[in-house]
Amino acid sequence: MIDVGSFRTATCRGIGRRHFLKLAASASAGLGLPLLPTTAVGAAPIRAKSVLFVFLWGAPSHLDTCDPKPDAPLEFRGPFGVIPTRTPGVHFTELIPGIASRSDRFSLVRTNTTSAPGHPDAGTVALTGFAETPSPPQPNFGSIVAKRRGSQGALPPFFSIANGVVMDGARRIEGYGGGTLSQAYDPFMMGCSEAGVVNLPALHLLDDLNPLRIQNRRQLSGILDLANRQIERAQKLSWSRSMQSAYDLLLNPAARQAFDLTRENDETRARYGYTTFGQSSLLARRLLEAGVPYVQLNYSRHVEALNPGFEFGWDTHIYNFELLQDQHCPVLDRAFSALLDDLYDRGLIRETLVVMMGEFGRTPKISARAARDHWPACYFSIWAGGGVEPGRVIGSSDKRGEYPLGESFSPLAVGTTIAHLAGIDTQTRAEMNVLTNGHVIEGLL
Amino acid sequence: MNRSRALCGIVIGQLLLAQIPLHSAEPERLTDTGRLKFTPVYCDQGRSLFFVELTDPTLYRLQRLDLATRTISPVNPAATTSEFEPSWAADYQCYAYLKTRGPLSIGITVCDNQGTMLGEIRPEPGFFGFRSPTMAPGKSQIAFSYGVGGTQQIFASRLNGDNRQPLTNSEGFNHWPAYSPDGRFITYGSSRDGNFEIYIMHNDGTDPRRLTDHPRQDIRPRFSPDGSQIAFTSHRDGNAEIYLMSADGTNLRRLTNHPERDDYADWHPDGQHLVTVSERKGRHEVYLWNIQEVEF
Repeated sequence: MIDVGSFRTATCRGIGRRHFLKLAASASAGLGLPLLPTTAVGAAPIRAKSVLFVFLWGAPSHLDTCDPKPDAPLEFRGPFGVIPTRTPGVHFTELIPGIASRSDRFSLVRTNTTSAPGHPDAGTVALTGFAETPSPPQPNFGSIVAKRRGSQGALPPFFSIANGVVMDGARRIEGYGGGTLSQAYDPFMMGCSEAGVVNLPALHLLDDLNPLRIQNRRQLSGILDLANRQIERAQKLSWSRSMQSAYDLLLNPAARQAFDLTRENDETRARYGYTTFGQSSLLARRLLEAGVPYVQLNYSRHVEALNPGFEFGWDTHIYNFELLQDQHCPVLDRAFSALLDDLYDRGLIRETLVVMMGEFGRTPKISARAARDHWPACYFSIWAGGGVEPGRVIGSSDKRGEYPLGESFSPLAVGTTIAHLAGIDTQTRAEMNVLTNGHVIEGLL
Repeated sequence: MNRSRALCGIVIGQLLLAQIPLHSAEPERLTDTGRLKFTPVYCDQGRSLFFVELTDPTLYRLQRLDLATRTISPVNPAATTSEFEPSWAADYQCYAYLKTRGPLSIGITVCDNQGTMLGEIRPEPGFFGFRSPTMAPGKSQIAFSYGVGGTQQIFASRLNGDNRQPLTNSEGFNHWPAYSPDGRFITYGSSRDGNFEIYIMHNDGTDPRRLTDHPRQDIRPRFSPDGSQIAFTSHRDGNAEIYLMSADGTNLRRLTNHPERDDYADWHPDGQHLVTVSERKGRHEVYLWNIQEVEF
């Protein structure tokens, strides 16, 4: 089922106009965009034809998930027990038994670190490798892959799955899109409900027009003209191009098929769980299967937890232990376990790189409010497929989970490793003027 | 007067339950939305349930389920912020719940059984959230927990928050207080000994005793209507299941046994049935269990 705004339809002819326009505006990374030359002789091999970046926006506690410290004092370790994983000597907390039982299918980095202590900047750093200033910011890792690889068929090369651009409060995360590479490489935004209804949240314009009346391109042109009159002059060029791309996309059966979760049987959908993140994870797998080079799967649109009007993210300044226990970890454990199994069962994992992480960790010492605050000095990431050797643990934190012991890895290293595995070598990165001075996390390869 | 009404309600509730077909140990599904759900609690002498549902990605909504008609309606239709963790007094005269009042700021609201507000306990300034309010019988007292100096303690107060007294003072987390039907005891979860276990204490906080001892977490205890048993959630078998035990910690029995999650048990006033939130085929629903039909 595709819900393009307020309409639901299973056929392209039934797409609501409002949704259609949303789609158009969110298709800026779409079709027919300029690409870099394809891989030259001697360039890095493409081990990851597709990349899935699972963004745990808001930042989960590393101690309460993948880096527990059962021997630390009670004010650090928290109330959860630990369980063994498939990796000898490695334990996770009891909150993620499914992920723990699949540790032989991924590698774990326990010494990620970032320079930014607050969400807006840390979000940009996590997605680009660099601070949000100067403006425009450096491009999202997905935009780099999108520019290099271009569209693989009918679908845009970079999707971001959430009910809109990821936000901290009312503030957009500047590193969400193309940045210095231009808005042409912004992600195509898609949302997905707990029932698996896909929606296109990018814009809300022109409610007075009925898309059911759109019969042909000439008529569409008229609508585009009207839309153009209603948006700022500076945006007109990209708007028209986006509209055209969206029109092409919506009329393409292969593209529409990728969005339609009803094509999956109930057993498969159930494995992911009927939650927003569960069904979004399934949507991500379908996009990867359809050949999309880069998908950013956001756990939530907003960083906040329990803020009026915002989705439930991982920013647990209060209720850390309750939200992880009651909601976030069960939902994540089920969906990510199903996703890994599905990618393995379908043989997609060999050429699909999966990276899962937040923008930082959370304070190892429990806060005065019996929760955990921001902690940029040490956190974790999970890596699977696409050239990553599974079953490894890279780095370790100290006895309280406060600081890395030995080498640590910045978001720039994360992005560089992603680019490297996606076949974007040092020379190409230099030509694109992206990920400057970045180093690959060699222990993963 | 209230006692006779309560007894009448229980009889009516039992008649309603008798109409629900129960097959062996299979639970009866009471809802059909699939969305994330939490904390079902009986009200109206067992004729209705309150539960919490994530009705959109931004909102925990307090819902009422009429068991006779199976209709679901919001308790507070105009609510625009999250309301959750409802708790009814054992005599069904009043209830409490948590209400989000601002960014990371959660207070307690107390209402009588008609929904009229009896009291409100406002959150402290800054990031602050009360947890797990629970009502003593007779509108006399409310207990709840919140974070203090890196620990989480249980407190009791009047319904408006006055005369607040600490009931616990330990390391770790003290959570999910639940009064016994006569109000003399409180069962709760605590991590003071390393991980979450079930405890019991007098209603003034004296004589705390541990009832469970397992390296996996035991949480969310609830007294049976006659006070003789406690239902709770345990992860000791690898995932969340509902267990029963006598109120002194003996006679441990597992009620549910499923690879998916069973959690948030609450007793029907007849003492023979429990509701849970259970995940089946990836959907979260409220289920009804007949204890007598379970082979322990």
